[in-house]
Amino acid sequence: MVDVILQAFASIVLDPVTLGLMLVGTLAGILAGAIPGFTIAMGVILTLPFTFGMTAIQGLATMLGVFVGGFSGGLMSCMLTGIPGTPSSVATTFDGFPLVRSGRPGLALGIGLWSSFFGGMISAVILVALAPQLAFLGLEFGPWDYFSLIIFALTITVSLSGGNIVKGLIAGLLGLFAATVGEDEINGVARFTFGFDEFKQGFAFLPVLIGLFAFSQLLTDVEDDKRAKSPLMEKSGTLVRVEHKQAITIILKRWINLFRSSFIGIFTGILPAAGGSISNILAYDQAKKASKNRSNFGKGEYDGIVAPEAANNATAGGALIMMMALGIPGDIVTAVMLGALMIHNIIPGPTFIQDEPLLAYGVFIAFFVAHFFMVGLQAFSLRIFLLVTKIPMYVLASVILAYCAIGVFALHNVVFDIWVMFFFGIIGYFMKKLGFPLAPMILGVVLGKLAELNLARATAISDDLLLFISRPWSLFFLIMAIVSVIFPFYQDAKKGSQFAKIYVPASVFALALPLMFMNSSTRLVIGIVMVGISFYFIYKSFFNKRLNN
Amino acid sequence: MKLNKDKILAVFLLLFCGVMINSSFHIEDPGYQGMKASYWPRIILWLLSIMSLVMLVKSFSSENKIDAKKSFSLENINFLQFKNALICFGMFVFFLSFLEYLGMLIGGILFVFGLLTFLGGRTLKNSLNHLFISIITIGVMWSIFTFGLKVILPEGEILKIW
Repeated sequence: MVDVILQAFASIVLDPVTLGLMLVGTLAGILAGAIPGFTIAMGVILTLPFTFGMTAIQGLATMLGVFVGGFSGGLMSCMLTGIPGTPSSVATTFDGFPLVRSGRPGLALGIGLWSSFFGGMISAVILVALAPQLAFLGLEFGPWDYFSLIIFALTITVSLSGGNIVKGLIAGLLGLFAATVGEDEINGVARFTFGFDEFKQGFAFLPVLIGLFAFSQLLTDVEDDKRAKSPLMEKSGTLVRVEHKQAITIILKRWINLFRSSFIGIFTGILPAAGGSISNILAYDQAKKASKNRSNFGKGEYDGIVAPEAANNATAGGALIMMMALGIPGDIVTAVMLGALMIHNIIPGPTFIQDEPLLAYGVFIAFFVAHFFMVGLQAFSLRIFLLVTKIPMYVLASVILAYCAIGVFALHNVVFDIWVMFFFGIIGYFMKKLGFPLAPMILGVVLGKLAELNLARATAISDDLLLFISRPWSLFFLIMAIVSVIFPFYQDAKKGSQFAKIYVPASVFALALPLMFMNSSTRLVIGIVMVGISFYFIYKSFFNKRLNN
Repeated sequence: MKLNKDKILAVFLLLFCGVMINSSFHIEDPGYQGMKASYWPRIILWLLSIMSLVMLVKSFSSENKIDAKKSFSLENINFLQFKNALICFGMFVFFLSFLEYLGMLIGGILFVFGLLTFLGGRTLKNSLNHLFISIITIGVMWSIFTFGLKVILPEGEILKIW
């Protein structure tokens, strides 16, 4: 094990090419995160074509640089201009911008930067500790369990991506359907090709993803004539000297907030589709509730910067845990990374860490290293950020559209892939206009083939479909899927309503049952505790009030 | 009955499902044991049909809430809103259609220049700026992919002559 870790360490830290690529990746990520309208996912997607010619570890390390850099990049624009660069830095604006306006921009940036760093470090440790354990758990999964896990990943994406749940489900199903076009992997039979030879290979997942996400986003960005012609940011801020020492002291004094926010970030990252945009708000909210200085929140409170910044960087580690351990992407970024691995014929899954230890530990180390780059590059990237923000959006969009075409062609050297990207770009654009969330569709495309493969395996082993509900893990994931579909209705329900009262205890109780049948004393105990918790909730909501009345 | 976007979309999706379900009956069955190739797509399509039907029913039930202004008609669509997106579509189709002849380098430069000119305005100063931007950016990208990443990008008929 130690020699694998050392080899992985050498492949990252002692390889100047990999280090150089990570450096460029982190810088690109910081800039992508800092520019409003650009997202981290967009940054990672645009990096992807460059990674085709790299080794798997170099490609992943570069993308991790973009991923980590992106989370901290958002804080630059939100603090200096009051406009969040990415949705994952929205809550940072609440206290970061007032602190800057009160005359402490260096300190505000320092607190944000180092909170991101510490949050990322905590999540990196959890990633290293938890991913192999979760992968070990994944070895218990049969095809029934895997299929149900994919269904859960899709339903929770639908419920967390906001908006209309029916439209979310339709988007997810359209994604699954798009993945069925072409020759099926089990029988080798052509499906929905309508006589076109090009369709036989199916739609490659990366052109679909770039089309749905990047292409459609760029079209949206240039939609408004006035906005497209004006610079990316009217106010781009000024150069600031970061107060590192004082910032670190302030953060370490708030270590409880730091750890709590980091754990919120990690947990949110593990949940499919729940990324930094949710974790930063959740962490901010919890920090405010726990603080003695609640009234200072919104006026430049240090805790209000530590919480969202620690949480959003920690989310990255959480999202990687699911991808590394089970091969299920937690968000669009990890879906792209999954695609990058597939280009190198590596399929992540429960055996990934065992089969490809060098690559797996390389990812862990790259995740650590990227955080050091992120801190080191902040001052330099601030200068570039001030320059980039003067470019009008239409220039950036036009150049990136061409770049998307070149990048997509480089994938298989086939022009048809560019047409696929264009076609899905149009679909993505109109779907967004019609109120469909795109994340479920993207995950549907990514997970479609895996779902079908596992369903085929399950039915090949036994034609008893009841196994999907009689196997504890499968039942557990199916219950999670139902709970996640009902979740938006719970959010809409009035606080005192019967449904709102029963949702949480019923969900906890239902999830406890399969846990108790897993032939493990630990899980039995967890199941019993969960049953106890659900009864406590019922008692608290129904009987306690009646007694009080 | 007033038309709204969801109603039209739901009907379109139902039609799409109908065509695809029908097409799934033409998927070849090689007679191997195990799950047939048409099984999984049909599950998806039936679920998609159900969801589209739910959307259609919901769009009827919310009909009363839709005022006349929001109901669907050609007059209510602001085509100008899509002007820039349509320009991008058009330019991209042009770029892809002539890629075989122009190649990635010349085609890419023309595409970026055309798009910049349409989106950013057609003054002489702008045009010169746009020409400079398109040559530099596409040139750099083309060089990175061709020489750095060793990707053979479409050369085009024009460059082949040279």
